[in-house]
Amino acid sequence: MEFLRAAQNADGGWGYKSGGMSFVEPTAAVILALAQDAPNTVLVQRARAYLKNMQRADGGWGIAAVDDESGWMTAWAVWALASSDAEAAQRGAEWLLQRSGIRVTDPKQIEGIEKVLKIDAGITGWAWQPGDAAWIFPSALALLALDAVQIRNHPRVQEGIRYLLDRAIATGGWNIGNPFMIASNLSPTVENTALALRALAAHGIENDVTRRAAEWLAQENFTPTAFEWAWRAWYLTQMKRNDERARAALNAWQRADGSWDGNPFTTAIAVMGTHEA
Amino acid sequence: MKTISRRNLLRLALGGGIAAGSAVIYKQTESVGFDKWARWMLRGQRARFASASRVALAAVAGAPSAPYDADILGALRELWRDANAPDLQNASVVLKPNLVDYVPDRPCYTMPQVVEALIQFLRDEVRVKRIVVAEGTTFRRDAHAILMDTGYRDMLERQRVDFVDLNYDDLVKIPLRGGYAKMDSLFMARTVAEADAFISVPKMKTHHWTRISASVKNLFGIVPGIKYGFPKNTLHMQGIDAFLAELADSLPTPQRFAVVDAIVGLQGDGPLFGAPVATGALVGGGDFLAVDATCARLMGLDPAAIPTLTFMAWAGLGQIDANKIELRGAPLASLRRSYEPAPWI
Repeated sequence: MEFLRAAQNADGGWGYKSGGMSFVEPTAAVILALAQDAPNTVLVQRARAYLKNMQRADGGWGIAAVDDESGWMTAWAVWALASSDAEAAQRGAEWLLQRSGIRVTDPKQIEGIEKVLKIDAGITGWAWQPGDAAWIFPSALALLALDAVQIRNHPRVQEGIRYLLDRAIATGGWNIGNPFMIASNLSPTVENTALALRALAAHGIENDVTRRAAEWLAQENFTPTAFEWAWRAWYLTQMKRNDERARAALNAWQRADGSWDGNPFTTAIAVMGTHEA
Repeated sequence: MKTISRRNLLRLALGGGIAAGSAVIYKQTESVGFDKWARWMLRGQRARFASASRVALAAVAGAPSAPYDADILGALRELWRDANAPDLQNASVVLKPNLVDYVPDRPCYTMPQVVEALIQFLRDEVRVKRIVVAEGTTFRRDAHAILMDTGYRDMLERQRVDFVDLNYDDLVKIPLRGGYAKMDSLFMARTVAEADAFISVPKMKTHHWTRISASVKNLFGIVPGIKYGFPKNTLHMQGIDAFLAELADSLPTPQRFAVVDAIVGLQGDGPLFGAPVATGALVGGGDFLAVDATCARLMGLDPAAIPTLTFMAWAGLGQIDANKIELRGAPLASLRRSYEPAPWI
């Protein structure tokens, strides 16, 4: 808390390091972390005002004040503002619903892509930026944001769910996009797996894909860093599971200044991960 | 009946030919615009008459079981001298290795021993003012995991050098000079934009999109993932060749140099899953294109068959013709290997 208080910029936002320029993602994540226990502190109110100021005329958010194009961080802002500013969150949600990753429609192309990447390219999720293909992180994030504003039956939500299920690695978990490349299964990553699992759970999906992914996450088959532990602990806490091992590992990574990696974003995820389930 | 003289007939034919040729060129260049095409083409023609680019090759003779236990610092010293490297005394320098990802037993990243030797050389012998090692990893959002897995974290602690994650750095917007991609400007990490010198320290590899990956492809790591995504696919959508040309043309640092880790290269399914090839070389130079063309030759590949290189050379961004590259140091023939090309997607 002291670290986050000290790292807040004059504009109300947080960057990815103390004194770094404010970005929408770390600011939204810190709001979500702090608002768990104290939703109306001055710190949080200033951060919400930063996000509100950053909203663009089209309803979306860029990554920072210097960015003049709405993109994937819209989902973070919608999620963070859903409980306090329904109008702004709703406009952001509309922006999300009107966007998608590139959708391949040519059956021959779909067949060719299926051979190389083992995916159904006719199903898409959300992109990092308009005009790009869909990827796991922005897609899972968009599903969580839409859940936060209680949009669950929209066709884009249903397609987003199918996208995540289609892109799961056969042995469990999610890489950043495709599960497979030419001749090899790609490796799962913790943040993509944690976020995708949480997004699917938020929309009531539980099946073999999610069970295999949860098993992979439980194996701790990842490089132990503050970031990776934070995302694992975040997922377990979100799923109302107290995991003392994840919490202890995360505590061991906390620095003397109270941060994880000196990074407000990682710290916010870790704070959520160490919160009582 | 009025007759037309032979001279006038020839004039008419010549004028008609020029007009028809211009119309064809105009039509063919419509997608990028004739003015841009003409600017690139004229610069490319000028480059044909420019002096040759200097590239140095240094042999690094390590034991087969431990190729990176060799005298890399000594090889770098020779490379720096032979390549006629820029004077970087008192400069702030960004070293940009290729840390695309860590895949066990796959030599897909620049080995830390090369970067460590470069840090020692620049600090102790060139006497630069400041060094940072910087990378914006392609696939994973957490560079710490890659730094740990690849041995960089220990090396950086040992050398007391900071790492800057270019995916999360403060941003500056830089104008794109070339017009090759459909963008006027680009967000770039402040650390790179404000440095005096940028040294690309890639791994020599085959690559399934760009055929080879060396100093030019390594530039993809300087753009921020938080804007362009992981793996920065938005920029791939611009056309990889066009966007790499843009990066090479618009890199704002006043000085640039490349040192390529070709001690053990990667062949086949690059950039991640290829197999190692012991090559025992470092490649260095200030003209990234000439360096990469030399890498291609070192891998037994023809630079003229690599679209990124041919496009950039045509546009005058460097040299790839062997006759316009002045090779110094170890003979290329003694280091050349036959790399299996990447399966092209």
